[in-house]
Amino acid sequence: MRVGVLGIGKTPHKIQHSKSLRDLIVEAGRGAIADAGVSPSDIEMLYVGNVGSVGFNYENSTGLMAAHHLGVVPAGAVRVEAACGTGAWALHLGVVAIASGLYDTVMVVGAEKMNDLATVEATSIIAQAADSKEEYFSGLTFPSGVALTARKYMQIYGLTEEDLAHTAVKNHHYGARNPFAHLRFECTVEEVMKSAKVADPLKLYEVCPMTDAGSALILCREEILRDQPDKPQVYITASQMATGTWYAATDTLEDAYRLFNEPAKRAYAMAGVTADDIDVAEIYNSFSIQEPLGIEGLGFAEPGEGWKGAKDGSTWKDGKVAVNLSGGLLCKGHPLGATGATQAVDIIEQLRGTAPEGIQAQDPEIGITACRGGPGAVGAIHIYQRLEGE
Amino acid sequence: MTVSAIEFSRLGPPKLQLYAMRCQSCKQLSPWWEHFHCYKCGGEVLTEELLEGRGELTNYTVVYYPPRDFLGQEPYVVGHITMDEGVLLPAPVVDTALEDVQVGTRVKSTLRRMKLGHEGDIYYSQKFVVDPNPPKKRARPAAAKAAPAKKAPAKAPATKAAPAKKAPAKAAAPARTRTAAAKTK
Repeated sequence: MRVGVLGIGKTPHKIQHSKSLRDLIVEAGRGAIADAGVSPSDIEMLYVGNVGSVGFNYENSTGLMAAHHLGVVPAGAVRVEAACGTGAWALHLGVVAIASGLYDTVMVVGAEKMNDLATVEATSIIAQAADSKEEYFSGLTFPSGVALTARKYMQIYGLTEEDLAHTAVKNHHYGARNPFAHLRFECTVEEVMKSAKVADPLKLYEVCPMTDAGSALILCREEILRDQPDKPQVYITASQMATGTWYAATDTLEDAYRLFNEPAKRAYAMAGVTADDIDVAEIYNSFSIQEPLGIEGLGFAEPGEGWKGAKDGSTWKDGKVAVNLSGGLLCKGHPLGATGATQAVDIIEQLRGTAPEGIQAQDPEIGITACRGGPGAVGAIHIYQRLEGE
Repeated sequence: MTVSAIEFSRLGPPKLQLYAMRCQSCKQLSPWWEHFHCYKCGGEVLTEELLEGRGELTNYTVVYYPPRDFLGQEPYVVGHITMDEGVLLPAPVVDTALEDVQVGTRVKSTLRRMKLGHEGDIYYSQKFVVDPNPPKKRARPAAAKAAPAKKAPAKAPATKAAPAKKAPAKAAAPARTRTAAAKTK
């Protein structure tokens, strides 16, 4: 399977009090439309990833709102939701739509406007991505649910808080160089350790901020992109989804591993590549511990060793596989519905060679994105390849 | 987090008691929310089993940024408590200094005010405190935390609490509620 990436667009990822949800959707969407060189009337289907407009913005029917303001009427449009995996799910549906042969050109948008509410309200809304009626009745939040995973990992594998801090250091090193990132500062292990506690053992620099942003892609049939050799020849060659456990209490580290490993194995087979072939990866890390878990699930390291790359350099830009050169969610923030789409846009920029200076890897050809959602409930893998002159 | 008064009438009463769900096929004991099917074997017949209320803290975190309903309680401890019956449950651990909380601490349940709803409604449920009289012979050392829950059925025979304590009307109430909820799905 090959699905052409005709265009990409994204807004800055930051707190944007002057912009509404629809502003973010239109800004990202128009960016992708312009980059693709199409007109809105060429778009046959629109998938809008958005998690919480009902709560964050007191509005619903986000897909229909987007269709109107992007001017793609009468194309079909729908809102997609799958917790933090939402953007990746919108992308998956876009890929499926093209791969099925039903459409020639579709649009995928992911967007979230989180900063209209205070942190305490937004935290409550985010917690609804887990079982807020039952398990999170106990006072759990997303940071604290993941903190339990972090402590479990530390208990079983002997990881120290200092070891884990290196993951935050790496992300912030690159985030500082990404003009689209929300948090743009570098930090040391000591500074990570000294930053405020959010949910023991996770500290502020190991936790993503709440961010307003949108990202968009225009996808097309392979032949359409092939016929435009002047355009960057980047294709999505695999798209695989999975579910895992929705409850932190019954989520083991083995479950966390499987959440990515199952769809990753399928994706590698689908694209005809192996983990060793991957040059650049964007791995979901709204909290530091999720990056090593993702690295392990994707097969870049054995279980219990995924954290080492940030310390020894093997997951830095010139390492064996460059992970989160965008700064990851720790720096870009985690605009829930946008995140999966932003990961895709960032990897496509890497393969096109248009990533910002300082974070562009050396001529990467194959990239992967791994997005997750819920306590351990959504696993989403996409593989991207630059396929010139074939 | 936020629930209406009507929903509270469904959610609230079951939370006054501490119970878990026993799969009648594989005998796996699951958290109280697993009432549609057993997540281990898929068995669809699960019955409530009241718990003794004692266990061991096997994991915990300290929440510094709470959801709205818990505002004012922060920082507070949320633990993963492995009950002596073998099931792992999430719950706050209270009445203890943060620095005194550690993995391996013996705890016991207590009915407390859990949180405030947005309409001022008060939720009562089970919190945990440090057990002042922990059993002399420790049932499960901290090192055994990674052991799978397979031990549970052997340790807590199905004959133990379930039939005797299921009789009171209180225990039957949540079952009715959940059956009704299931039918509406």
